[in-house]
Amino acid sequence: MLPRSAPLNRREMISYEMLPLHLKITVLEYPMAKLNILVVDDDPLAQKVLASHLAGHDVEFARDAASARKKLDGGRLDLCFIDLKLGAQDKECSGLTLIPIAAAKRVYSVVMSGHDSEDFVEKAYALGCDDFYSKGNEEATAGSVVERFLRRRGASDQQSIFSERFVTEDAPTRASISEALKYAGSGLPIMILGPSGTGKTSLARLLHDLSGRPGEFVAINCSAYTEDLLEAELFGYKKGAFTGAAENRKGKLLLADKGTLFLDEIGSMSLKMQTKLLKAIEEKSFYPLGSERAETSDFRIISATLEDVQGLIRAGKLRFDFFQRVHGLTIPLRALSQRKGDLFPLIAFFTRGVKKLSFTPEARQEILRHDWPGNTRELRKFVELLAAGDEGRVSAETVRRLVQSALTQDAPEAGFVSEEQYRFALDRGLDAAVDRFVDAVIKRSLSHHNGKKTKVLDDLKISTRILYASLKRGEPETAA
Amino acid sequence: MSADELSDLAHDVVSKASSLKEAAALLKRSSAAERAELLSLMVRSARELAERLETFEKEQKPA
Repeated sequence: MLPRSAPLNRREMISYEMLPLHLKITVLEYPMAKLNILVVDDDPLAQKVLASHLAGHDVEFARDAASARKKLDGGRLDLCFIDLKLGAQDKECSGLTLIPIAAAKRVYSVVMSGHDSEDFVEKAYALGCDDFYSKGNEEATAGSVVERFLRRRGASDQQSIFSERFVTEDAPTRASISEALKYAGSGLPIMILGPSGTGKTSLARLLHDLSGRPGEFVAINCSAYTEDLLEAELFGYKKGAFTGAAENRKGKLLLADKGTLFLDEIGSMSLKMQTKLLKAIEEKSFYPLGSERAETSDFRIISATLEDVQGLIRAGKLRFDFFQRVHGLTIPLRALSQRKGDLFPLIAFFTRGVKKLSFTPEARQEILRHDWPGNTRELRKFVELLAAGDEGRVSAETVRRLVQSALTQDAPEAGFVSEEQYRFALDRGLDAAVDRFVDAVIKRSLSHHNGKKTKVLDDLKISTRILYASLKRGEPETAA
Repeated sequence: MSADELSDLAHDVVSKASSLKEAAALLKRSSAAERAELLSLMVRSARELAERLETFEKEQKPA
């Protein structure tokens, strides 16, 4: 079966309810965000009751408006519960004066009162309160208030994520990422699918940054290593474990302890390597090469591939049990050609603080016409070239010229032969290295043309013999 | 008795009664130490409520 482009439908995404039990438990193990909350109430019993319902958060109290004002001024608060009438003699309901202060400080203010007349509700909202409830059912109310606050904050955080961390205005892409972000703080493994350059590594890093995991984000591109080198990179080795192992070296698994291990191009990992890694993932322990002592590591797996994972499984290139372990949630990322609305926001993002570019209408058309096969990576290179030039207003001719340059320069390493390619050639011989290069080009072209071989033959100007020899080399290994 | 006075009384009674009801529900799942603290606060709150009502009643009686 020929590899096809990665499936980009959302059907593979799963909801919490669909998760297997052990993953549900993993999700629940991670606590909800701890909030800084101020409760303004003169009644010690009401304070005590609310504190019980807000257990798990940092809650402080104020009994009157003056001390509440001080706390609002000085603290970094998320939420503020305000009773309107603070004391038997407080006929003016001094709690009302706190609402605009909270609003100015961007603290989510919740009025809780025994007064639920229209007049008070209107006054409180007019002053800028975010929520109002009548006293009497604090347990349910406090929970739903916190939930509403988190939902609102989440929406605003996500807005900044889409303008600062993963720039996109594309609705399906935003939906995919929002889904992934729900599980950022869990230990749930996530598999990111998408063509090269669509931001798989950026998304993985974002998920790690929002995970709250104290360890490092450790990334490895599995396709950049031979099996032996990948094993050494992942598991580490002891001095003398093999020729060239001059000293002990920690593997990526250990470096990702309490952090995230990002396995890019997971589809290129050999079956033998998958078996070893599966064991390490399940047991959270492994043996570095040449060591008789097991190392333990608590890492969270995020993986990515541009290949069709179902196709890889059917072709016997991806172990089903390994796949099950690494794909708790599958997140598809669309190619830039499918979300051209992101082109100009991305260009603006890449030139932020560097150079303001403006485009002639023809230049804009040219940018929109191009398919950006190298996706965001290619676009970034293109923008770098534009920003380095003298033109303030970019013409269509410049776009055409620089698009070609960006494509040529969209190489993984400086120079035509990367260090890894050179090492591969030394390790396996030049013929094997050439075959690998040929196979990669043909595979990409096939993917680009949705498996249409005649298009590949035309595009690459190769004979059918070369094409079929490459396809034969790509046939599944027989599992031992 | 003005509408404001009545509204004020209603506020105080509703607030205190709500806290007492919520605290009573909490008693069941509290530790011994927390229960003792809650009960002490509840007694205090109940007294304040009674005092508030007594004061109000006195205020309403014709001199």
